[in-house]
Amino acid sequence: MAAPLPDTAFVAAGPLQPLPSLVSSRKLRAQRLGRTLRLWIPAGFLILILALCFLWPLVYTLPSPTNGNIIVAGEPPFSPGAWLGTDQNGVDEFSMLVYGGRVAFEVAAAVTLIGMAIGSVLGVVAGYFGGWVDAVLSRVLDILIAFPALVLALAIAEGLGPSEFHVILALAVFSIPAFGRVTRGATLVLREQPFMIAARLAGTPRWRVLIRHVLPNIMPGILTFSLLGVGIVIILEGALDFLGYGIPQPSASWGSMIANGQQIMTAQPEYVLIPSIMLLIVVAACNLLGDALRERWGLV
Amino acid sequence: MRTACLAGAAALTLAAAACSSSSNNSSSTSSPSNSGSPSSSSSSAPKAGGSLTVLESSGYSGSWTTLDPAANKEGAATQDFMVAIYGQLFELGPGGKVLPDLATSYEYSTDAKTVTIHLRQGVTFTDGTPFNAAAVVYNWMRDLGPVGIKNGLNPPWLVPMKPAPPPAKNAPPGPPPAEPALPSAFSTPDQYTVVVHQVAPNGAFIDQLFDSIPNWIASPTALQKDPTGFGQNPVGAGPFEVATNVPNSELVVKKNPNYWAKDDNGVQLPYLDAITFKTVGSDEAAYEALLVNQGQVYENMSTNALITQAEQHLQVENNLGTSPYDLQLNTAVPPFNNPKARQAIYAATNFAPILAHIFGNRYPVTQSFTGPGGICYQPKVAGYQNYDPTLAKKLIQETGLDKTTIQLGTIALQTAQESMDALRTEWESLGLHVNIQSWNLQGLIAAFTKDGGKDWQSMVQTAGAYDPAGGIGVGFRFNSHSPFSGVHDPKLDTLLAQASSSPDLSVRCKYYGQAAEYIAQNWYGPFFFTLAPVNVAVHGVSGPGVSTPLPSVAVVPTIPWESVSYNPSSS
Amino acid sequence: MALVQQIQLQGDSGARGSARRLAGSPALRLVGRRLLAAIPVLLGVTLLTFAVMNALPNDTAQAILGLNASQSSVAALNHQLGLDQPFWSQYWHWLSNVLHGNLGTSVQGASVNHELAVHLPITLELLAYALVVPLVLSIIVAVLAARKPNGIVDRFSMAVSMLGLSVAPYAFAFILIVVFAVQLQWFPVISGSVGTTPFSWLKAMTLPAAAIGFPLFAIYTRLLRADLVEQMQREDYIVTAKAKGVPPWRVLIRHALRNSMFTLITVVGLNLGGLIGAVAIIETVFTVPGIGQDLLNGISNRDVPLIEGIVLVFAVMTVLGNLIADLLYAVLDPRIRYGRSTS
Repeated sequence: MAAPLPDTAFVAAGPLQPLPSLVSSRKLRAQRLGRTLRLWIPAGFLILILALCFLWPLVYTLPSPTNGNIIVAGEPPFSPGAWLGTDQNGVDEFSMLVYGGRVAFEVAAAVTLIGMAIGSVLGVVAGYFGGWVDAVLSRVLDILIAFPALVLALAIAEGLGPSEFHVILALAVFSIPAFGRVTRGATLVLREQPFMIAARLAGTPRWRVLIRHVLPNIMPGILTFSLLGVGIVIILEGALDFLGYGIPQPSASWGSMIANGQQIMTAQPEYVLIPSIMLLIVVAACNLLGDALRERWGLV
Repeated sequence: MRTACLAGAAALTLAAAACSSSSNNSSSTSSPSNSGSPSSSSSSAPKAGGSLTVLESSGYSGSWTTLDPAANKEGAATQDFMVAIYGQLFELGPGGKVLPDLATSYEYSTDAKTVTIHLRQGVTFTDGTPFNAAAVVYNWMRDLGPVGIKNGLNPPWLVPMKPAPPPAKNAPPGPPPAEPALPSAFSTPDQYTVVVHQVAPNGAFIDQLFDSIPNWIASPTALQKDPTGFGQNPVGAGPFEVATNVPNSELVVKKNPNYWAKDDNGVQLPYLDAITFKTVGSDEAAYEALLVNQGQVYENMSTNALITQAEQHLQVENNLGTSPYDLQLNTAVPPFNNPKARQAIYAATNFAPILAHIFGNRYPVTQSFTGPGGICYQPKVAGYQNYDPTLAKKLIQETGLDKTTIQLGTIALQTAQESMDALRTEWESLGLHVNIQSWNLQGLIAAFTKDGGKDWQSMVQTAGAYDPAGGIGVGFRFNSHSPFSGVHDPKLDTLLAQASSSPDLSVRCKYYGQAAEYIAQNWYGPFFFTLAPVNVAVHGVSGPGVSTPLPSVAVVPTIPWESVSYNPSSS
Repeated sequence: MALVQQIQLQGDSGARGSARRLAGSPALRLVGRRLLAAIPVLLGVTLLTFAVMNALPNDTAQAILGLNASQSSVAALNHQLGLDQPFWSQYWHWLSNVLHGNLGTSVQGASVNHELAVHLPITLELLAYALVVPLVLSIIVAVLAARKPNGIVDRFSMAVSMLGLSVAPYAFAFILIVVFAVQLQWFPVISGSVGTTPFSWLKAMTLPAAAIGFPLFAIYTRLLRADLVEQMQREDYIVTAKAKGVPPWRVLIRHALRNSMFTLITVVGLNLGGLIGAVAIIETVFTVPGIGQDLLNGISNRDVPLIEGIVLVFAVMTVLGNLIADLLYAVLDPRIRYGRSTS
């Protein structure tokens, strides 16, 4: 998909407040309330969805997301026993939504963590040390970014068979350079700050500088970027499932729900609409949360 | 095109047999047709003129690379284009009658090794050169010769062929050296007669022509003038000629002004001035296009929900199917080398709910490889093991089938995948463990041929054609030499060979019946139901296969485009 | 100034000092350096693709020849296609052919050059439509929004952008089809044939371009608006201009916008190669005969030359995108053009 480039992560997208002295206290309070809501509504929603996907099935036994009873195939929403209906093979739509959500979040979390871990290290190293280290690492990151993740994912799925692990692998190839570029950029800026120069002049060992000074300062940027990244990965993972190269059938996933649903879209559009709306609000919540955090942490 | 039976003095016994054979399958349509259309447009004279857009599914008929018959790898899938451009030698008509087109009649020798074909006189290709026996033989030699073999064409003929020599060890990649000349299997006693000499009796020869490469004859002059460009600018003697061709996307053909045929009322055929064949991605896309009249005809719609919708807004033609779904079991490897395990599968599988809920009960259940649209239809087979869950559980216990994971695969088409998934659910409810997989055509071939055919365990496929001896018929799935067969049983091979050798239809059907019983006794693979291709069109389109039923040779019927007309105002 | 630019400038501080003394115009040197840097990227990407495709089990020849083919013809075709050669030899063959301008023959028999020549323009046209229209729209919307931050237009544009950022193109495409093509019938369902007039082309391509372009519009709008607002509120020269009495619209457009365009152009350029995924899916959904569809078909057919050709095209696009973005910086930013050091 067209991912917003890492560099744009640092651009504040939320409304900027005018300088306080020009504003009345009532307006200030309203602004603060607005800020809090903007943070906690998406955060709360995400926590709710995560609880639904991961905890709810432990509490209440849902019908199987993979095996259905063909006698009740094709039931519309609000049918007794299946409040979102069933698909063509009788599998419960709500269960597929919940378990598909699990997959989406698992993949997104794994890919983002891998990207954060490996990509950030590469980026920081490249940005801090500069010189030929930077040149080499930047080239590697460029290659990985120019390499079409789609081709890799499809090729891996074709050759080794589709599985959740392979999807994570393929998307991580795209995630690592994304984090790499972001952290490299941030490190470059940071490197010229007075306190960093002071630390260098004082003879602080480099590893110490990196851990004590660089990392804590770029952390907020990385975290907000990773929220944006989670949204992108969820969409990408859905795309792979949609093409049939992601999570293998019969496991449920939002992308495959959309792909199967589009085959009978004019007949029963809810099969496409339900997972699409779910995708939309989850990704929107991630993006909104990322914006709110950036606002909170004053990242410009 | 509406002539009843073959005329001609020479077409004695065999023609009579062919005519009467068509009554072996029910010539009355058992399924509703034309539901929802206000007026039956077949009663009024067809309107001449106008153009049509025919939608082709990208996974099947909408993908093509070349229109040169000898180099055509897609074969029957591209029949729409080939029939429009080249016409056919013989046509499979309504009720299973063999209709003359560019060939007028045929006869078999008594030992069924020699077939004599008479061609129509006075026909020319669109480049003006004559259509005659020499042209036919030129094409057939090409189909068997270097161009054909290089692309792996292997028409089901019984003429001995020398395989290409294996390439030298360090030869650079490039075209292989020319193969030695093939022994000639064809003779032309006169300008309009072709005689085929086969090495073994083959009573199915004419049936094997339908919907296959040798049925489409190209102009030798044009072929010789431009051998490489011919595939994009073909020249044939069919009702249409190519106007523009963008492979995998769109083919536009326009009326051939010198086409030889007229209809029963003397009106010059084809009725249409032009046809645009356009590729679409799925049944849903095609249905939407039909709704907004961006296309007028779509063949082989299989999505049940859409068919139901289409019946309310469009014309839906249910044609008689010839290719049942079957579940192939690989007898070469465990677990299905054990006959009891195979019997367990027979007993564990209940097709009725699948038929009801995925396919809306549209299609008849069958226990053999024949369908109502083809010859030798036999829906019930003696000794067939039906669904019996108690017996299934017992056999599963005995054989330990639930201790292993069964690999089940199929082609990546919606209805096939749904059927496979439903099977999986049924089996898992009896305690079995199933792993499902689906592939596109290439992946499917790889799955079948991996490890010398010892990798796959079970596959949901189709078996059968109009004539089981032709196309993807029964040998393809059950003959020991086929790489796509799970059965290696010389007794069955003999039965199938006997069934195809005789020219007498009743003899053939007797052997096919025995083959079906043998398959059932050995539990080589259960059969589901005969998926019948549904053709959908906007109101106002009429023609065989579109508004009237037509049997399919393989998968879809071969629509004779010269007989299709479109009258928008009659809808 | 936008952060991005700072990053670019600081990244070059080391080598530039010495290079500057040797060569002439810094812009030219920038181009040269970027081109040199692009080559290992292109090599790396194509090599990686080749490696991946070759690691897959390969029954290409059998699949091409069809189900009835004999073993000897399969072997012959394998040899003919060079599929029985070792991996390095195949890559070397391909590379040397590419350097002669020949991208090889796809396993379906058509020349890859020909395939690209036929299908690439369609994709490029679609991409142009999908890039230019959102760009223009986003400029208009962002300017209107930045005029009054937190005003109605601003809030509305932020909401729409959030929607665009969060929507999945493959889901959005179906909604577009059902609403605009089937129900309203404003646009055709199948975008395959574009007709002969520009109007019919627009009609056929609008829905696919909208599916690709909506997320792009969202990204550009957010970026531009934030940049504009930041400039209007923080930059000294803006304050100066306002103090001088320049009308606010003029300030916005002639000053702030010109500077913000840098960032925007950079993002557009950098985004280019990454669109391959969206393009492939949208082309499939709308049946547009472009190279995205070719790519998907090629992967399922294990058609290595075709895939390589298409990957090469997109890699070149990515690199070009980077290059043009850098060039525009070099050309438009006087600080770089006159080579003043910033470190």
